[in-house]
Amino acid sequence: MKRISAALSLVIAAALGTAACSGDDGPKVVVYNAQHVQLLEEIAPKFEEATGIKVELRNGSDSEMAAQLIQEGDASPADVFLTENSPAMAAVERAGLLAPLDAAATDPIPAQYRPESGLWTGFVSRSTVLVYNPDLVAEDELPASLMELAEPEWAGKVSFSPTGADFQAIVAAVLDLEGEDAARAWLEGLKANGTVYDGNNVVLEAVNSGEIATGIEYHYYWYRDQAESGENSDDSTLHFFGNQDPGAFISVSGAAVLDSAENADGAQEFVAYLTSEEGQQALADSYALEYPLNPAVSLAPPVKPFADLEPPAVAISDLDGDKVVELLSDAGFVL
Amino acid sequence: MSAPAGPGLDPGDVAAFGPAGAAPRRGGLPRPPVVLLALGVLVVATSLLPLGFVLWSTAQMGPAEAWDLLTRPRFADLLWNTTRLLVGGVALSAVLGVGFAWLVARTDLRLSGLWHGVLCAPLAVPAFVNGYAWVSTTHAVQSSYWGAVLIVSLSYYPLVYLPTVAALGRLDASVEDVAASLGAGPGTSFVRVVLPAISPAVLGGALLVGLHLLGEYGALQLLNYPTLTTGILDQYRVSFNGPAATLLALVLVVFCLALLGLEALARGNRRRARVGAGVGRPAARHRLGRAAPVWTLVVAGFAVLTLGIPLSSLLRWLLHGSSSSLSSGGLGSAVGTTLGLAVVGGLLTTLAALPVAWLAVRYRSTLATLLERGVYPANALPGIVVALALVTVSINVVPALYQTLPLLVLGYAILFLPRAAVGVRSTLELAPPVLDDVATTLGCTRAGAARRVTLPLVLPGLGASVALVSLAVATELTATLLLAPTGTSTLATQFWSRASAVEYGAAAPYALALIVLSVPATWLLGRVAVVHQQSNEQGNEQGNEQGRPA
Amino acid sequence: MTALTVSGLTKSFGSARVLDGVDLEVPGGLTAVLGASGCGKTTLLRILAGFIEPDAGTVSLGGRVVAGEGRTVPARHRRIGYVPQEGALFPHLDVAANVSFGLTGRRRASGGRRAARERVAEMLDLVELPQALAGRQPHELSGGQQQRVALARALAPRPDVVLLDEPFSSLDAGLREETGRAVARALRASAATAVLVTHDQGEALSLADQVAVMAAGRFVQVAPPAEVYLEPASPAVAAFVGGAALIPGDAVAGSVDCALGRVTVRGAEQGAVLMAVRPEQVAVTAAGEPGSRAAAVREVSFFGHDATVRVRLGGDATAAGAVEVTARVGADDVPEPGSSVGVRLLGEVLAFPRAES
Repeated sequence: MKRISAALSLVIAAALGTAACSGDDGPKVVVYNAQHVQLLEEIAPKFEEATGIKVELRNGSDSEMAAQLIQEGDASPADVFLTENSPAMAAVERAGLLAPLDAAATDPIPAQYRPESGLWTGFVSRSTVLVYNPDLVAEDELPASLMELAEPEWAGKVSFSPTGADFQAIVAAVLDLEGEDAARAWLEGLKANGTVYDGNNVVLEAVNSGEIATGIEYHYYWYRDQAESGENSDDSTLHFFGNQDPGAFISVSGAAVLDSAENADGAQEFVAYLTSEEGQQALADSYALEYPLNPAVSLAPPVKPFADLEPPAVAISDLDGDKVVELLSDAGFVL
Repeated sequence: MSAPAGPGLDPGDVAAFGPAGAAPRRGGLPRPPVVLLALGVLVVATSLLPLGFVLWSTAQMGPAEAWDLLTRPRFADLLWNTTRLLVGGVALSAVLGVGFAWLVARTDLRLSGLWHGVLCAPLAVPAFVNGYAWVSTTHAVQSSYWGAVLIVSLSYYPLVYLPTVAALGRLDASVEDVAASLGAGPGTSFVRVVLPAISPAVLGGALLVGLHLLGEYGALQLLNYPTLTTGILDQYRVSFNGPAATLLALVLVVFCLALLGLEALARGNRRRARVGAGVGRPAARHRLGRAAPVWTLVVAGFAVLTLGIPLSSLLRWLLHGSSSSLSSGGLGSAVGTTLGLAVVGGLLTTLAALPVAWLAVRYRSTLATLLERGVYPANALPGIVVALALVTVSINVVPALYQTLPLLVLGYAILFLPRAAVGVRSTLELAPPVLDDVATTLGCTRAGAARRVTLPLVLPGLGASVALVSLAVATELTATLLLAPTGTSTLATQFWSRASAVEYGAAAPYALALIVLSVPATWLLGRVAVVHQQSNEQGNEQGNEQGRPA
Repeated sequence: MTALTVSGLTKSFGSARVLDGVDLEVPGGLTAVLGASGCGKTTLLRILAGFIEPDAGTVSLGGRVVAGEGRTVPARHRRIGYVPQEGALFPHLDVAANVSFGLTGRRRASGGRRAARERVAEMLDLVELPQALAGRQPHELSGGQQQRVALARALAPRPDVVLLDEPFSSLDAGLREETGRAVARALRASAATAVLVTHDQGEALSLADQVAVMAAGRFVQVAPPAEVYLEPASPAVAAFVGGAALIPGDAVAGSVDCALGRVTVRGAEQGAVLMAVRPEQVAVTAAGEPGSRAAAVREVSFFGHDATVRVRLGGDATAAGAVEVTARVGADDVPEPGSSVGVRLLGEVLAFPRAES
């Protein structure tokens, strides 16, 4: 069967004229990537140039790829797994699919941004923000806490993207910091108050165009649009909660090597590159504007400095993705 | 002749001249070759695989878990949204399709040929591209029931318009004359005579609109209007292919099958064509009189909605898009991959349709009929269901196929087999077995007859089938998103990753390429409808049933 | 002329026996196989052509067994020509290419292309079509022209036997007669043996040298047209060929007393008989004319040159179970439907013994 399939692939690839670019010429790592595609499309070529190892990206979303890896098990073609947020990585870790990372990969990252197990590491992070339209809500009316958005005076004034992994990570932080009852009540309030969009870019655009007053998302959507053209952000601005509020939660993007990796060495090398000063500088210089986690590297202004964020203390391996999905389902955001 | 047509015979007198035994088939039919049968069974079984998967995996679930999923608050939302979109979208598409078809085919509207082209053209804009164009123009259509109904209707009304124009063209004008002679005015005559006569075409078109609506993902996702299909994708995003996704898929399939059943019921056993064998007279066109300019304005205004807005929006993004930092290499390789997949998919699907159609045409039997009908339920399988099934089956049963191009192409074949089967079947009917018989009496071997007679007759039709499926493959989004192997990016997936991230400018070149790819198929379909009309005007009646437009 | 012999031919489809021990001798010329639809005549033709194999029995062409006795000569080696219903011209080829289709390959006329072109011209002449049609596509021809081209195509390779399957059934009445005559002339000129399958008795009687009447998978009479008409082998043949009304009666010494009065019969002259009364044997007179029987006119079919009148004997047009006969009358002498007339029998009536029920 395998041979037939391979032969068929060859025939089709030949017919495609794109030739077998997945051919077996030289080493490669297969990366299951749930981080932003554009970011990896910027970083991967730099790694390829530095090491001669080819990177093959399969893109998806956090929980989709986590579930996919768990279903694939040992047969998975993946060498490396990159998530956008940590809960999905924690799920794969619990399934026992990850190999311990080399010290070279973990050492550059401060301990609070990686689990004690050493099975994965954070490599970039993002801060929760409230993007708002100053025409619709004045600066002095802004909430002091993310939790206030569930209160009746915010009815019709808040938006978010609950099917995305970002919002789910924020809910996980609320759950971790405030407990289940408070998290449930908060979600029910949001369900009553809020408008649901699909995708954080859509949230930004809706706020900027005056569709809705505020949106819960991560910081970089606004900064990226500012850096590019400002078309979807010039009429809006950001509110950082700070003060260890759940709304100041910093979410960590994780990187890991699969235990079943065919090219384990290449995979370790790839993760080590991501956390190295060189790799972190490349991330910082990219379009992404996410916060690098290697202390030797920092983002250039105008992005709010990492040190000024005043995030709450959340242990990243404590974030419970399954419980979050249950809460979202009970609130009617997802099935 | 020495004995002119004599007086009627009393049937009892000549009982001996009746048929021998129970109505034998004329001349008898040969048994189908075993290889052909095996191929037919294989093809049909494969096409039913997703249906089996959905049933099987739901059965695995256990009633408690299923009940738990079906009673969640989100499920009711999705069901309600899907149902009302189906009703509104199908109704509006039917009204638009029939109304404009009548205007073009049965009135003296000027430049009707031009307007026919304009009215077919929206088929060349994939619905998700249309959704993108509208959403990036105005937020008014987003997160709104009426916005969703409007956009999907503007995208899919041609599926009603095309068969209706063809049916109106075939309609014998004398039935309207008879209605008039019985005292019916134009309105009454339309409702009581014309509408029933074209209703099979309208129903067939409405069914297609319904099936497309149920399977639509891209446009509705961009419009922020959640339905069962977008719900399945959401679910897939959350849990890969967890039980909730397959249960939703089952509900979706039930919707689709119910739609098929409803259409069959509504159509009943109405005769499609004229009764009797006389030559039809082309219809006299109704005079619009002084209202003519108004109606021209209506059609033109409609064209602004269906074509003007998408094209102008696309043009704007192409020219001014800020996120259009396009590497032309990316577009080039996506075009190459898309074309390659399209050609391979078109060929394989047409090839797969051959044994089933050949059995149905040449070896009529219970089994052949069963096989032919067996392809039919695949009509009701949305891309998302086929993709889910193939992902799960491959990962668990044939891991060697998992995440490979063959699996993606297989998905396309399953998805578009019903479409190819209709076309291939009507093509094979162009080469009836009697031609083979004649050729063999003229000294040909069976192979020689196939080469000199059958092949030249069917090749153009098979080519058209390959082309139609290819173009459908090229613009397929949902199944491609799930099945494309690592590193394979098509125009549709590239467009999607940009459009869904609100990078409208970057998405524009891909949207344009998708439209360009869809133009030939649309032209082909539009022409078929007109050729039907013309051939009828020459009184050259074709016996074959009007095929479902792809 | 090549003789065609069929003996003991049997063929069943499933449980239905379509041919039931058929024997037929075709010495040459044109033989029409006449029967109602479903009687098995098309199956017979397809066995002759070699498209299907018989269950039992043999087919010989010119003394050579081509089917049965454990051997089957494939259709392409039988030297037959085949003209199916509606012609079945190859739609992708023009007239010339259709006619020359069988001239390529094994049977290529010596001289190749040029000879083939000459043969096409010759064939178009034979079927009385203008040479200008050679470049036309089949869909540009009328139905009758298509049939003639189909015959030309069948005759071009000089077959021993030509088989025609209801070739005129799809043509308009006027065209049918004209095309039929042209086809018969062409067949005779080509000296091929021909078998024409038809359900139209007029066609069979007017075109054929020999008519084979088929019913329920058997031949009930094989004879020249006049004999089939004048001396039908059974009441059923009489009714089917020539439209005789069948009237039961009891014969005593060659005459029968019945609703038509005293009738002189031939054939069966004693005991229970079935009389076959042909329309031309019934004269319609004024009501009450001496020697006539009262009858009511049920139905009139006017043909122009003459008319047929269906009358019910006994004068009461509504009486159930009354005997009805059909009369042929002149065009200038057609009674009104519903009127009362007299009817009288002319000459002797053919009678067949009847089993008492």
